[in-house]
Amino acid sequence: MGAMIRWETDLDAAVSKARAANKPILLDFFHPG
Amino acid sequence: MDAVTYPTESVVEFIAANVVPVRIPSDTEPLATEFRIKWTPTLIVLDWNGKEHSRTVGFMTPEELIPSILLGIAKTYYELDMFNEALADLDKVIEDYPQSDAAPEAIFYRGVCGYKSTHDPKPLKQAYEKLQAAYPQSEWAKRALPYRLLP
Repeated sequence: MGAMIRWETDLDAAVSKARAANKPILLDFFHPG
Repeated sequence: MDAVTYPTESVVEFIAANVVPVRIPSDTEPLATEFRIKWTPTLIVLDWNGKEHSRTVGFMTPEELIPSILLGIAKTYYELDMFNEALADLDKVIEDYPQSDAAPEAIFYRGVCGYKSTHDPKPLKQAYEKLQAAYPQSEWAKRALPYRLLP
């Protein structure tokens, strides 16, 4: 199995991580199926 | 996206290097309402304070997703007046992904960023000339038409 995207699942956690890493956020709203 | 685009190695590497990725089911409230989600996939580029700067709706191939995200990152820097950072990412779209749908828009914004960072109108005219030469049928060539009159 190849590498996979390591998605965050909580936006607040992603914002904290983005501030620490000084990176933008990619937010994907997906159909839960 | 899960079947084709997200498992692609170049996409995995690009996302790990350039953004913090977060996935939210489209029925999650209050976020779905706050972000006005009506269709999926909706991909949004936010800055590190959670403010939106770019979005796309619908499936994208790996070849289109990477330059689309890069353009979104560049527009984030542009809207934060971080013009040097924006120009660097716009140049990557233009030079590395010239066949992508993002390329004409990147040329347009390169002209705008170049003007806003120098107050020299030459980058705007250069954007017009490049769009006319390489992407004459694109909407961005039309949007740049007024710049043909610049010195």
